Amino acid sequence: MTTTSHPSYLAPKRRRGSGLTTWADRHIKWLFTAPAIVFVALLIIFPIAYTVFLSFTDSASSVTRPFSFVGFENYGKWLGDFERFWPAVGRTAYFTITALVIELVLGLAIALLLRKTFRGQSIVRVFILLPLVATPVAVGMMWLLIFEPSIGFANVLMKSLGLPAQLWLSGTDTALNTIVFIDVWQWTPMVILILLAGLSTLPEEPDEAARVDGANAWQRFRHITLPLLMPTLAAAAILRSIDAMKTFDIIYATKGRTGGSNNEAETLNMLAYNESFGNSQYGSAAALLMLFLMFIIIILTALTILRSKGHRA
Amino acid sequence: MTATAQRPTRSPAATARVSPPAPRRRKKRLLGPTLRTIAIVVVVLLFVLPLGWMLMAAFKTNLDIVTPSRTFDFTPTLDNFGTVFGAQDFAPFIVNSVVVGVGATIVALVLGVPAAYGIARYRIRNATAFVLLARVIPGVSLLIPWYFLFSQVQLVGTYTALILTHIFVTMPLVVAIMAGFFEGLPEELEEAAQIDGSSRVGAFVRVVLPLALPGVATSAILAFIFSWNNFLFALVLSNQETRTLPVAISNFTSYASVDWGGLMAASVIITVPVMLVALFAQRYVVAGLTAGATKG
Amino acid sequence: MITRSRRNRRAALAAPLALALAAGLMACAGGGGSSEKVTDLTLIAANSPWTEGLKDLATEYEDETGVKVNLEFYGNEQLNDTLKVKLNAQSSDFDIYGYQVQDIMREFSRNGWLADMTDYVESDADWNWDDFQESSRDAVTLDGVVYGVPVMTERHIMYYRADLLEAAGIPVPTTLDELDAAAAKLNDPTNGFYGIAMRGAKVPLVTQFSSFLYSYGGDFQDEDGNATVDTPEAKDAYAFYGKLLKDYGPPGATNMGWPEASAIFAQGNAAFYLDADSQAYTFLDPASSAVVDTVAYGAFPEGPAGSHPYSIVPQTVGINEYSKKKDAAWEFIKWVTNEENSKTLLADDTVPSARDSSWADDAATASFPAGLVEIVRNSEGTVGHDRPQLEKVAQAREIVGAPAISAIEGGDVDSAADKANTDFQDLLDGEK
Repeated sequence: MTTTSHPSYLAPKRRRGSGLTTWADRHIKWLFTAPAIVFVALLIIFPIAYTVFLSFTDSASSVTRPFSFVGFENYGKWLGDFERFWPAVGRTAYFTITALVIELVLGLAIALLLRKTFRGQSIVRVFILLPLVATPVAVGMMWLLIFEPSIGFANVLMKSLGLPAQLWLSGTDTALNTIVFIDVWQWTPMVILILLAGLSTLPEEPDEAARVDGANAWQRFRHITLPLLMPTLAAAAILRSIDAMKTFDIIYATKGRTGGSNNEAETLNMLAYNESFGNSQYGSAAALLMLFLMFIIIILTALTILRSKGHRA
Repeated sequence: MTATAQRPTRSPAATARVSPPAPRRRKKRLLGPTLRTIAIVVVVLLFVLPLGWMLMAAFKTNLDIVTPSRTFDFTPTLDNFGTVFGAQDFAPFIVNSVVVGVGATIVALVLGVPAAYGIARYRIRNATAFVLLARVIPGVSLLIPWYFLFSQVQLVGTYTALILTHIFVTMPLVVAIMAGFFEGLPEELEEAAQIDGSSRVGAFVRVVLPLALPGVATSAILAFIFSWNNFLFALVLSNQETRTLPVAISNFTSYASVDWGGLMAASVIITVPVMLVALFAQRYVVAGLTAGATKG
Repeated sequence: MITRSRRNRRAALAAPLALALAAGLMACAGGGGSSEKVTDLTLIAANSPWTEGLKDLATEYEDETGVKVNLEFYGNEQLNDTLKVKLNAQSSDFDIYGYQVQDIMREFSRNGWLADMTDYVESDADWNWDDFQESSRDAVTLDGVVYGVPVMTERHIMYYRADLLEAAGIPVPTTLDELDAAAAKLNDPTNGFYGIAMRGAKVPLVTQFSSFLYSYGGDFQDEDGNATVDTPEAKDAYAFYGKLLKDYGPPGATNMGWPEASAIFAQGNAAFYLDADSQAYTFLDPASSAVVDTVAYGAFPEGPAGSHPYSIVPQTVGINEYSKKKDAAWEFIKWVTNEENSKTLLADDTVPSARDSSWADDAATASFPAGLVEIVRNSEGTVGHDRPQLEKVAQAREIVGAPAISAIEGGDVDSAADKANTDFQDLLDGEK
């Protein structure tokens, strides 16, 4: 490194050079971020505007049929619906929080386990990706058969271990937890992968220094690795929480359009799908989608605020 | 903001210093590795075993698949694979998925990585939120407007429409992962490079990117997987010629029968290309580590 | 023989095509074409035996007419989503679509998504619309307008294990009470064997519950279209359906659609399976079934009001109202559903035709299980619908399926049926 040969007061001058590079440098903030933002904006503005528009109408059966404006009626209908809407909100929250916590804890533990190099490392890392790679529809069908109470392997295994057979996905009380299990199985690998990438760039000195100072493994993890890993962990948490809230494939494949005979696995996304493509109630579905969107945004904002507060503390 | 306060590495030179292993570590090495190996094996088995069921099912008849007593005790058959490549002719769907997946991944990286860098370095929180909105919005609300838009510009059924919509899925992922990643990288490195006479863009390309390679590789793998598995957008925006694998796989469910074996065989085949991509990309996850060390 | 049949088909084609496409046809066969000439059509449909047969027929049609028919097939539910997205956007990307008439016809025709085919089906006496079973023609007609041509039919039947009944000395049940007794006798859950397997999940079960409802003397709606799922007959039917599954059904029945229920019967772990006859082939395929030699088919048992199983049209082919090639689309539909092709589909691909002439032909029905052909030919007492008849079928199914779930779970069927009736009536009122 040649840091010492350049006194720091020279730096500003150099940045104010001339030409295209300088222009690029001066506008790097937007030069780098604008294309992505514009791309998202192009694809998202029309659908969001359209959904907002529909949510104030009673459009049903076909969006081309005549409809009238009903103000906030659709929103009121959902917010006052304690039969389907609020239970779905509860299930979505339960599912997301449970799955997220298990996945983050498990993912972090396994990432730390796999962190240091060992023989067969790349094979192990690729193996761990397998649940992510298998097509969701097929994964759903696979678990449906494995967890089938009378012809599935899960109960064969339980019996051979001397445990009572379970209803798994078929039970009103057990279905959602079984789906959490499937979600954990399928998505923990993504958390592991993201954390491994984060871990691979952490500087080693602080850890080594603490080791020399006699800190034990837990102390070193708690006070050195974890704080340094925080941005990556937050990224994994945000991505997983968004996706968990929107979980659809697995629930649809294992519990059908209504999330089960007693709607026991009906989450907000399932409900919105059913209202839209099952029932063709486009106005009401649009309002539900907007409420769902607002929920996600509120939760994410809360998470972000908590996170930045945590940093300041 | 962020972890700067805790970050003990003050100079880039420090990152390059490789400390010798402390003597205390030696003692633990006797017991540690054995336990660790066992733990790794257990973890791998937990993730892989259910797919072992899928792999076995791919070699079974439909009857054997639904008969629990034949979980392990069955006569393997290749019929299902015959169906996948014969009657169902999956080869073109694999090509379609690869084209769309590679396209969506590359564009997502080109757009997403610099964006993540800008967001992380200039703390544009709102931009992250906006890009993430693409991931937050439920797919159901996109289908009809998108189909309408794409049919107006005659893009329904084309690779372009599929790649564009898949970027919508993959790019926010890249941005989220990479922004977190860049936040974790010491800023001093770029500052040093700039002082050395490099432009900011130059510093990004020459210093930051190589360091960020593990993150880039990781987000590339994940982006590819998400594109590979996307069902909803491909369902309405592809046609018979551009149909991708997740849509094609619904061909195994018919009006009054489900071809479980064919479905499982197709699922097994579908995972192979992704595993190859992952194996390839994984090299960079590890390589990034060493690259980072030498650059410092 | 093959050549002869081909020649016949070509002859049958020649006249109408010449009319519709005028002189263009000859010129275009060589590759040219005026702007009027249609060179390709797109058909989308859900996978079924009919679509399997269609693959060959489409090639044949292209060879004979030069019109390429692009086929896009989906899973059942995926088709529903695809259609709704595309038609909401008024897409003309496809010309012909296969659909479930009871789920779709009311809603789609009122949306203006299905072309009026009344004039088409009556345009050609040789094609013979009257050859289609009356119930099938009724099924695709709404307020006097024809919206499609039925391409498959389906009935509710009783699959049973002949070997087990014989061994236990039980005669084949002809009434629902006998079915109940036989299922009770053969039920052996400790050994993983169940008296009966049927659909038990709320939405899928509605169609299979319908025959029980009719045979108890009930229906979903009365003649004026009002809800009638709270009648004593309906309540008894719900209770009976639930009792069968509760007492002799496999565990987790409320999560079962036909894939799970038929799998249990196919691997030999249930004595009875009541569902659509379209699944017969699964049980006759040694790769899918352990009961190939022991499965037998019986007519739907008699309830207090007699035996009234559904006999429906599960697959219909119609024309997209937004299509710019309606005439050409009709030409293809007409060809593919003509007498000869209907017979070919029945004989080669076991597509249960909606034409009387197909079933009258012993050569065509030879590949069909003998017991089944008898049931098909004897259509007395059958009912032409298997679900509520209204636009919002999906919502109605959720409502009228709920009391059956109460029955399976041992809950209060009467109050569940009362509530269902109120909700169902509200839904019906909303459409008036």
